[in-house]
Amino acid sequence: MTDAQLLILLSTLSTGLILGAIFSLVAAGVTIVYGCVWLPNASNGQFFLLASLVAWTFTASLGWSSWLAAIAVIVLGIGLSYLLEWILIRRLYDTPNRNVAYFVVTLGMTQIMTGIFSLTYAKWSDQFSLPPVVDGISMLGPFPLSNNRLLVMVVSLFVLVALFALLRYHPYGRALRAVFQNREAAALRGVDVRSIYRLSFVLGSTIIFLGGILFALAYSFDLTVAWTMSITAFAIMIIGGPGSVIGALVVGMTFGFTQAIVSIFASPTAATFSYLGAMLVILLFRPSGLFKR
Amino acid sequence: MKLHSKTIFGLFVLMALMLPLAASGNKFFAFVLGMTFISLLWATGMNLMYGYVGLMPLMFAGVAGVAGYAMVHFTRTLGWSFWLAMPVASLLAAAVGVALGLPSLRLKGFYFTLCSLVIQTVLTLAFIFFPTYTNGDTGINQVAPPDWFGGELTGLGMDMMLAVVAVAGVLFCAWLVKTPLGQRFVAIREDDVLAEGLGIQVVRCKIIAFFIVSLYAGIGGCFYAAYVGFISPRAYDVLVSMNIWLFVAFGGRATIAGPIIGTAILAPIPFLLQDLQAFKDILSGVLIIVVTLMMPGGIYGAYVAWRSRQAHVASDGDKVQEQRV
Amino acid sequence: MKLLDVNGLSKSFGGVAALRQVEGHSVVGETLGMIGPNGSGKTTFVNIVSGHVRPDMGSLTFDGIDIAGKNPHQLAAIGLCRTYQAVRVFSSLSTQQNIDNARLLLSHRGLDQAELSELLDWLKLDHVLGKSAGSLTLFEQRRLELLMRLVLKPKLIMLDEPVGGLAVTEVIEMIQLLKQLKARCSIFVIEHTMRVIKELADRVMVLIAGEKVADGPPLDILKNKRVVDEYLGAQHA
Repeated sequence: MTDAQLLILLSTLSTGLILGAIFSLVAAGVTIVYGCVWLPNASNGQFFLLASLVAWTFTASLGWSSWLAAIAVIVLGIGLSYLLEWILIRRLYDTPNRNVAYFVVTLGMTQIMTGIFSLTYAKWSDQFSLPPVVDGISMLGPFPLSNNRLLVMVVSLFVLVALFALLRYHPYGRALRAVFQNREAAALRGVDVRSIYRLSFVLGSTIIFLGGILFALAYSFDLTVAWTMSITAFAIMIIGGPGSVIGALVVGMTFGFTQAIVSIFASPTAATFSYLGAMLVILLFRPSGLFKR
Repeated sequence: MKLHSKTIFGLFVLMALMLPLAASGNKFFAFVLGMTFISLLWATGMNLMYGYVGLMPLMFAGVAGVAGYAMVHFTRTLGWSFWLAMPVASLLAAAVGVALGLPSLRLKGFYFTLCSLVIQTVLTLAFIFFPTYTNGDTGINQVAPPDWFGGELTGLGMDMMLAVVAVAGVLFCAWLVKTPLGQRFVAIREDDVLAEGLGIQVVRCKIIAFFIVSLYAGIGGCFYAAYVGFISPRAYDVLVSMNIWLFVAFGGRATIAGPIIGTAILAPIPFLLQDLQAFKDILSGVLIIVVTLMMPGGIYGAYVAWRSRQAHVASDGDKVQEQRV
Repeated sequence: MKLLDVNGLSKSFGGVAALRQVEGHSVVGETLGMIGPNGSGKTTFVNIVSGHVRPDMGSLTFDGIDIAGKNPHQLAAIGLCRTYQAVRVFSSLSTQQNIDNARLLLSHRGLDQAELSELLDWLKLDHVLGKSAGSLTLFEQRRLELLMRLVLKPKLIMLDEPVGGLAVTEVIEMIQLLKQLKARCSIFVIEHTMRVIKELADRVMVLIAGEKVADGPPLDILKNKRVVDEYLGAQHA
């Protein structure tokens, strides 16, 4: 293999890993909230973008380091999630068929946020990016990988593993999965279902915010990532199986690599088309997805 | 209420046909009125699917777009009259609507809504990325008004035509929901498993519903193109579907008056605001959330609930009197 | 004359066999019963016969017609219908509207007003026609379910746990109603205790772990050693 081919291969691999990890994170956040609270968050792409944009504001306007901005955004994000849960989300906990109502509510949220972004950030810049957290470049053979991107890759994968461990081994995680499986049974066993709903909404949303920050650290972005991310995250959730974090991981990684490969010779819209197509196929032929909860 | 429903309908028809006359002096108001009539036609169709069958078809605007673009193609490229192009384009759109809806027939609730959203997205992307018929994102301008006895149907005449079409749409829907087919729709909405167990052919009814609703979308889409004179993928995208849904939900789903009320109040707002698209999006988004969380029956639903509470109060009074005797 | 005829019925879900080669039949005018513990395959059996689930193997005929793979609405059209374990009515609609929905199948070929009034009177539902079905008591809802099935002029009604959730006195009343129902239509009662079945059924099929282990009159079933050991022993008073 020539150096050039190795370069392309390694570049694709690293892009695939980073994108895959971020996709998986966001999709995991969306699927946790859907599986537990029955809330399909159509505005997940907007949440994603919100985190990136606010982080950009902190670094560009206030001159903070990306590190500080990231932490600030996460803290604010957790606060925002609690606020949203308190004002809007908890109103539907006892409604039957609330997944449609939630979907519509989050579509409304999408419109509101799109409007706000048009009035603000769209006027300030076309492209946004965050200053790197660490400088320097590491060489993987002939392939130069910025340490910043390497950090993003490592952090994303670490968070994914931590999330997985949380759900599998920690008591909160087990309570979450108990509610996933069967709310009534979990309630009978003494699980406070409403606080689990609250926790998983905050957890899921925070993961999405984190995904937004990590993405912004690795790549420059514009406002259209919101819409693209929403479609991608939903496609991953549906194909992977709503409520299945494993599904989000596997399908998310697959999509990441697909995107990396497709970008070599086609526009990203082609990838979006294929996600839509795949989601449609699964919805029509195997609505429960590829993996179980 | 029932005794007067023919009177109410009569009044409604009369008012609808008089409004264009009232607005004919002012071009702006006449335009807003015309757009409201088109929206009313759309809202009635959306209500049929959402209110009566219980499914939320977010690809409604996309189907309207198929008809709109087809109509423009038929009149421009093939030289057809609007009055031939419009029905053919609408039937084409209805066929597309059924074809797209067919695979999702087994889906319910959220999955159906998500599927329809995906289909709408695909349609919008198709309008943008296949410019041969659609001229892509640039859109098609100078769409001619409908031909009319050698001339063109514009101004007061066009507004009257839109009023007639909207009223016809409402009356047809009012008739349909009282038929056995309409009853079947409601049964399917309430519990489709039970409905099927009672012998109702759920799949067949859904297909019929798709067809009729797509016709509403398509006819509206054709008139929209001929009225506004300019179409683009934006005119038939998901925001439009959501807005039409909002007219129905805000006004009161599963009623005949609901879409009329919702459209009458909400449809003129974007034109009267004249502001940035962004403000309209935000307002629309807020209304969507408010309606979903706090107004399940919409305005008309709240009115009906209030009236039945009044009726209970009245009958309680009667009971007390009986006891005294 | 056989009404329902089932042979070699088998069904697995993800590798787990829910039904193994189940065979059975019902005869016109005879009340068939089916009992079995939870997980015995009763629900699967009923779901297959009522068209909600497709069998993996086996033959299924009703009134001489092959019904394997038919949809519930096709079955309703040939005279086979069912009620559900958890009572199922159109809760937001009025009782009258519920009945009207059931009348859609046969429309003008269905019951006339006199026959309907008789049913309403017998099932004591004539005074709740205007109330929403969701506001009726559970017992009233169960009776409404029966009325809606009778409106279909069926040949066989499958009753899935018809006394589920009813109070003790209501159970006694319901059993009486079901005895009277037998004169109007053949019924197939599925229960998980013998309490109701022994009063109604002429013949009982016992399902345990997906297999039919016994088939005969209730008294024989109660004396069947295997059935008593494996199933009834625990709950037999």
